[in-house]
Amino acid sequence: MIDFSRVQKELQDCDKDKDASGIRVCPKSDSLTRLTGTIPGPIGTPYEGGTFQIDITIPDGYPFEPPKMQFSTKVWHPNISSQSGAICLDVLKDQWSPALTLKTALVSIQALLSAPEPKDPQDAVVAEQYMKNYQVFVSTARYWTETFAKNSSLDEKVKRLVEMGFGDAQVRTALESSGGDENVALEKLCSG
Amino acid sequence: MDDYLSGEEDDYYYSSDQESLDGLDNEESNLQLVSSRINTAKVITKESLLAAQREDLRRVMELLSLKEHHARTLLIHYRWDVEKLFAVLVEKGRDSLFSGAGLTVLEHHRRRDSSSVSHSSMMSCDICIEEVPGYQMTRMDCGHCFCNNCWAGHFTVKINEGQSKSIRCMAHKCNAICDEDVVRTLVSKSQPDLAEKFDRFLIESYIEDNKMVKWCPSAPHCGNAIRVEDDELCEVECSCGFQFCFSCSYQAHSPCSCLMLELWRKKCHDESETVNWITVHTKACPKCYKPVEKNGGCNLVTCICGQSFCWLCGEATGKDHNWSSISGHSCGRYQEDKKKQMERAKRDLYRYMHYHNRYKAHMDSSKLEDKLRDTILEKVTISEKRQLQLKDFSWVTNGLHRLFRSRRVLSYSYPFAFYMFGDELFKDEMSSEEREIKQNLFEDQQQQLEANVEKLSKFLEEPFEQFDDDKVMQIRIQVINLSVAVDTLCKKMFECIENDLLGSLQLGIHNISPYRSKGIERASDFYTSRSSKEAVGEICQPSNCGTSGRNSEETSCSSRKRPRKDGSHRNSQTTLLDLNLPAAAMERK
Repeated sequence: MIDFSRVQKELQDCDKDKDASGIRVCPKSDSLTRLTGTIPGPIGTPYEGGTFQIDITIPDGYPFEPPKMQFSTKVWHPNISSQSGAICLDVLKDQWSPALTLKTALVSIQALLSAPEPKDPQDAVVAEQYMKNYQVFVSTARYWTETFAKNSSLDEKVKRLVEMGFGDAQVRTALESSGGDENVALEKLCSG
Repeated sequence: MDDYLSGEEDDYYYSSDQESLDGLDNEESNLQLVSSRINTAKVITKESLLAAQREDLRRVMELLSLKEHHARTLLIHYRWDVEKLFAVLVEKGRDSLFSGAGLTVLEHHRRRDSSSVSHSSMMSCDICIEEVPGYQMTRMDCGHCFCNNCWAGHFTVKINEGQSKSIRCMAHKCNAICDEDVVRTLVSKSQPDLAEKFDRFLIESYIEDNKMVKWCPSAPHCGNAIRVEDDELCEVECSCGFQFCFSCSYQAHSPCSCLMLELWRKKCHDESETVNWITVHTKACPKCYKPVEKNGGCNLVTCICGQSFCWLCGEATGKDHNWSSISGHSCGRYQEDKKKQMERAKRDLYRYMHYHNRYKAHMDSSKLEDKLRDTILEKVTISEKRQLQLKDFSWVTNGLHRLFRSRRVLSYSYPFAFYMFGDELFKDEMSSEEREIKQNLFEDQQQQLEANVEKLSKFLEEPFEQFDDDKVMQIRIQVINLSVAVDTLCKKMFECIENDLLGSLQLGIHNISPYRSKGIERASDFYTSRSSKEAVGEICQPSNCGTSGRNSEETSCSSRKRPRKDGSHRNSQTTLLDLNLPAAAMERK
C-alpha cells in the first residue's frame, strides 16, 4: 500500500541539496517505513549549533496520511514534549496535504524551533517557563542543546584525548569499549 | 398566514377557512380550531431522504444557477439553513459566499478548454512524482491538477476518516472542496462500496447538520428522521409511534421544560437523596465507622459494636448518663445549627419524595393503561358486532387517546411543580407569598385534572361489551364528557403555566411545548404531502421564504403564535378526524 517509489524519490531529492539545507533523511534499516531525519538547529535560537534527530514512521496511507514524526534527540521547546519528543505541529496533523513531503515537514519543524507557539503547547511546563520566565527558558533550551544535541565526532574526541597525552591506538580502543562516551573512556585510560 | 386572531383568547389559532367553521356553532369553534392546526412535521424515511433535501437544493440551484453538487456543498457549509445562505449572499455577495464554503465554480467552457489541451501529452503529478498521460490526470475547479490514482488515494483516506462532507483539494493550503462528481467517479472505479458510503454521508448530512431535522430517537431505531417546519420547540410523533420532544430528543415531556426534565432525570437517577438521608439520619460510629441510625431515646447511642457515643457531636463517651448529660461529656453548643440543617435536608427529601411518588404513580398507570389498550379495543370489536342501537364506538378510542395524553401531562406536571415551586431554579424569581398563591392555583388545576383522569380511566375499564343499550349509552356520555373535561383542564393547565407561571419569569430558558388538543403532532409522511400538491410551487411559498421566523426566540413563553400555513396540507388532515375533534364536537356531528 505504501507508495515506496515516492519515498524513494523524496530521499533522492533530499540528498541533492543536503549540504545547502542541512536537512537529511536516511532509512533506519532496509525497509523504507522507518526513517531518521536530521535538522540543524536554526541560527539565532537556543538550538543553534545542535543537530536534532527525528524518528519518522511512514504510515500505510502515505502520502495521503501524514508521516509520524517524533524527536529522538531531547529538546526543550514548548511545542515538543521534553519527555517523549512528540511534536505539536498542524502540518503533521489536520493541515497535512499530500502535496507536502518529508523534507517540507522537516523544514516546518525547523521553523517551529525558531518560532515556538507557547499558546498551543505540547509541554505545559516548558510553555509556562517560556511565558513567565523567558531568560530561564533560553538558558535551559541552550543547555539541553549543548548536552543532547551536540555529539562531537569520534575524531574530535580522539584528538582531545590524545592531547591529554594518551596514545592514539589506546584512545581509540578505550572509546570503542566505552561506547563512544568520552568521560568513561578517560576514566578507563586513567585507571588502566 | 396572518389569520390568527389577537385578543383575549389568543392561544388559539383561528382560521378563516370555511370548512373548519362549517356545522359548528361559536361555542365549540374554539375547540375545533385549536385542533385543526395543520401539522408541519414530516417523516423522512431512508427512501424519501433524497427527495426531502431536493427542495432546499433546488431553491439554491435556481437562485444561484448552480449545479446540484455545488448547491449541496454550499448547503452543507451553511448547515442546510437556506435563509442564512441567502442572507450571506445579500450581505457579502456571491464570491464571498462561495469562497467561504470552499466552492469554486468555473465557467463551463473554460474548464473544458483547460483540460483538453493537455489531454494526450505526458504530465507530471506532484503527489506521486510520476509522469502520467494527460487523460489520467484530473484538474479540480480550483485549478490544481493531479493524477487519478493520487486523487483516489486521497479520497479513500478522507472518506474513511469520515470527512466525506468536506474533502479538500490535495494542494497545500488550498481550501477548495472537491467536486463530488469527481470523487464519486474516481472512487467507484476501484471501491464501489466506498463510493456508496460517500454518497450516504453526503445525503445524511441533511439530517446530521440540519437543526430542523432530527433522527427519531426510538430504540431500536426505526430509521426515520423528522423534519419540522418553523419551530424546534415542539413534540412530534414519528410514524413508528414514538413520541418525542424535538428540542431534546427525549420522550415527550411537556409541561416540563427540557431543562427541568434533565435535572429531574439526573435527580431520579443518582441516589443523591438516599445519600442525603444517610447523612441526615445516621452518624458514623467513632469506633467501627458504620452508619448508625438513632431509633429513639436519648442522645447517648450505643452502636452494635458496643461503643457508646454522643448523638449530638458523634464523639465516643462512657456508658453512664442522666437526663441532662452524659458522664464526662458536654457538647450542647452546636445543637441548634445541626437541627436546622437536619430539618432542612429532611424537608427537601420529603418534598422530593412527594413529587416523585406521584410522578412515578402516573407513569406506572400509564404503562398499565398501555397494556389495557388492546383489551379495550377488543371490547370495541365485540361491541360492534352486537345488535345494539349504538354502532359508533369512536368515543372509546377517542377517550382512550385522551387518557394517554392527559396521563402523561399529569405525570410530568409533578416534576414541573417540583422545580417551579422549589428553590433550585426560581428561588429569586418570586417572593414566597407569590409562590404560595401560584402554587395553590396550579395545584387546584392539577388536582382537578387528576380526579377527572382517574374517572375517565375507570369508565374505560368498565366491561361495556357486556352491558345493554342503556348502560352503554350512560358510559358513553360519561366518557365523552370526561374526555372534554380532561382536554379543557389540560389546556387550562398549560395556559396557567405559560401565562401565570413561566410567562412572568425573567429567565426565558424554560420553554415548553404547547398543548394540542388532538395530541402530539403526528408527523406526516413526506411523500403524501408532496403528492397532494405537485412539485415546484411548494418550494417557494412566501410563508417559507420571506418570514424571518427565528426572531421570536426571545419570548419566554411558549404560547407564541405560529402563523398558519396555507391550507394545502389539510386534506391529509381530515383522515385523522377521530382524534382531532373534541368529543363534544363529534357528538354534534
